Amino acid sequence: MNRDEDTIIAEAVAWHSASVRDDMDWAGFTAWLEADPRHRQAYDEVALTDALLAEHQDVLRGAPVATAANDHDGDAAAPAPYALRRRGLMRWAGVAIAASLIAVLVVPQFLRAPVQSYATGDAARTIALTDGSTVRLAPHSTLSVEGSNQERMVLAGGGWFDIRHDPGRRLAISAGGLEISDIGTRFDVQADGGQVRVEVAEGEVQVVSQALSRPIRLTRGRGLLFDADGGTALVAPVAQENIGEWRNGRLSYDSVPLALVAADLSRYAGVRVTVAAPLRDRQFSGTLVIGDGEAALRDLSSLMQLELGGGAGAYRLGERR
Amino acid sequence: MQVGEEQAAVNGLAGLFEQHRAELLRFLAARCGGRDEAEDLLQDLWIKASAQPAGPIANGRAYLYRMANNLVLDQLRGRQRAMARDRNWLAEEGGGAQASEDRPDPSLPADEALIQRQEAGLLERAISTLPAGAQRALRLHRLEGYPQGEVAEIMGISRSGVEKHLVVAMKHLRNALADCGFLAGAASKGQGKPGGAELLTENKL
Repeated sequence: MNRDEDTIIAEAVAWHSASVRDDMDWAGFTAWLEADPRHRQAYDEVALTDALLAEHQDVLRGAPVATAANDHDGDAAAPAPYALRRRGLMRWAGVAIAASLIAVLVVPQFLRAPVQSYATGDAARTIALTDGSTVRLAPHSTLSVEGSNQERMVLAGGGWFDIRHDPGRRLAISAGGLEISDIGTRFDVQADGGQVRVEVAEGEVQVVSQALSRPIRLTRGRGLLFDADGGTALVAPVAQENIGEWRNGRLSYDSVPLALVAADLSRYAGVRVTVAAPLRDRQFSGTLVIGDGEAALRDLSSLMQLELGGGAGAYRLGERR
Repeated sequence: MQVGEEQAAVNGLAGLFEQHRAELLRFLAARCGGRDEAEDLLQDLWIKASAQPAGPIANGRAYLYRMANNLVLDQLRGRQRAMARDRNWLAEEGGGAQASEDRPDPSLPADEALIQRQEAGLLERAISTLPAGAQRALRLHRLEGYPQGEVAEIMGISRSGVEKHLVVAMKHLRNALADCGFLAGAASKGQGKPGGAELLTENKL
């Protein structure tokens, strides 16, 4: 009982980072928790702190905030998705963020130059790479492209990748906590908060993450649903015609948690909607036409027999009373 | 493990759940500090596991444990949020600084936005006051998403050096959050031990 707080916190941090790995010693962790009530408390605090970090990752990370800083007085035309979604925060935290920008921008510079960054507002846009590959960047998303051969990309949001296979180039795309590599293919990626979806329409890709015990190979017609916070990864077949379908104004689902559907509608259909906590994991199967976001939302709520509350700007899906 | 994975593919997670029920309950009891709460959470876990599509899941036992661990964390997070809302409500009642935000009803999503701002601002400040090495390791690993091995490469230090930086960073952030009362609700509202919150203060000083 004399072990000091530093040791306990260090152990709690170690258990916490191990908990996302498949080789985590859960019985050992249980024994550690049982050994001393302070262990549980230290773990609670470490896990909560980390959860908060993950939740505010986008804001705390430098790059997207750089565009946002110009947007805090309400210029809706500026292509700054983070600012649009979190304008209140930017206004409030503007000074602190500006002060920290200098520190933040040093990091990518020393990794590799040059960096090109793209950000979309309400409309998608196509980015052409020098080798003839293209990326269709979804609304409210950002993509940065680095390296002399454009071999490193970082995606936040959604994107459809049509990449020419070049065995001489080691292309890698980071999205959420995942890295996608070994690419010669067409595939769709969505990274939102801690969740990432990768769906392969043609060819195959390899997906690695610190949270995965081994690389996952995804072939044509397979999709990966990865939850960095939960440390879960699920591979399932995806109907090929549904992959990247948002480009044609439709979204199709087969047993997908409602929380993800809501995130998609916010991104692709331009309607902000939150889902009541108990409903977040309820599964939806069906197709939504997203030309008119509010109509899509009404379709969803009637198909799921849910109640649509709130109003323009902040809808809310809840249980029907 | 082989057998377990086979079952996971056939029966979904529900079969695996039955197989590991006893150890999952023991884990939940240790994790949340109370048997009754653990029973409730085990029930939630069963519901969640049964609802999962029967796709192939690598290492189903670890998956169940992670789901269980996350259920506890979600609960903590919910309590912590509720505390934050209460605090803001009181601050507003007392004519606090948030008056200009015009949030008459703390249950509105707009109130969530206020909490979000507070949390992000607090973290931002805490990160900016970290020692340089710890700050860089935290940013690269936790915010930019580089695996620890790559962070070590980028920073030109050992893997254990990165781990040490991350411990320093997490401890610093946790202290900053605790000092501002952001962790108190979660920890002290747990079962049994009313001494929990005091213990934290003692340790910190």
